Amino acid sequence: MNSQIKKGILDLCVLALLEKGDSYGYDLAGSLARKVEVADGTVYPILRKLASEGVVSTYLQESQNGPPRKYYHLTDAGRKKLNSDREEWIKFCGEVNGILKQETGGKADE
Amino acid sequence: MNKTEYLAKLTNELGQMPYGDVKDIIGSIEEHFEEGIVEGRSEEEIAASLGDPKELAAEFKDGAKFKQIMKKRKMSDNFKGPDGRGRIFVIIFNAFVGIECWFILLCAIIAAFMCLAGDAAFIGLIIAGLITGVLTEFIVPFIFLILTLICVAVFLVVLLILGIKYYAKGLKSYIRWNKHVWNYGLGED
Repeated sequence: MNSQIKKGILDLCVLALLEKGDSYGYDLAGSLARKVEVADGTVYPILRKLASEGVVSTYLQESQNGPPRKYYHLTDAGRKKLNSDREEWIKFCGEVNGILKQETGGKADE
Repeated sequence: MNKTEYLAKLTNELGQMPYGDVKDIIGSIEEHFEEGIVEGRSEEEIAASLGDPKELAAEFKDGAKFKQIMKKRKMSDNFKGPDGRGRIFVIIFNAFVGIECWFILLCAIIAAFMCLAGDAAFIGLIIAGLITGVLTEFIVPFIFLILTLICVAVFLVVLLILGIKYYAKGLKSYIRWNKHVWNYGLGED
């Protein structure tokens, strides 16, 4: 899939991953890369951007066997943004699908 | 590529980003490596799955650019016409401090020029005296005097070149700062 299209929507995906609860970089990188075809590193610039926008906040927490982890937390502003963007995306997807399906349907008729 | 190589390449690619940001970014990628190592993955494997450091750096830089644009937009959103206090500040500051400071510095540069001219004239006079034979009796002390004067001249030339360069630079950014305060007032920025 075109990487430009992907890029725009990945912010929303990361917000959605954080909706389930706070998480740290490595875990989020894995969760995202397992579901979407992106490099593990991709999540870090996104997290940084989201933090600068104030939709996620960060805190450090010790882990049992590894280095201290930087956890990311969805702020109230982030939750609001997630909900409105998700709604918009789903609506947009429906519209796009409508067009795409119509097109293939048209071709099949010929 | 191992961890050290990857981080070095990423640091290099981040280039001109502020030091604090680079440190922060490298910190989070280093954490990623350490988590992976604890899981039993090799450094090379983790580096490969992170993706090309050049591309990753470009994404970080894009994010920083976005941040700047947002900041600018926020500034212009908050901007409600010229700030009267900023303008009064510019006028008063220039009347009592700014213009005086720049004038004194200009005088210092002119004074250095005059010293240099005097120095050169003095050297010329002594050389003329030596050539025409007026000063032949004191040839050794006068040669020493000329050498000293030449040193002074070199020092003055260097001082003038640097002085003029930084004067121009400083004046330029001073004017820019004045314009900013004049147009946007005395913000936190």
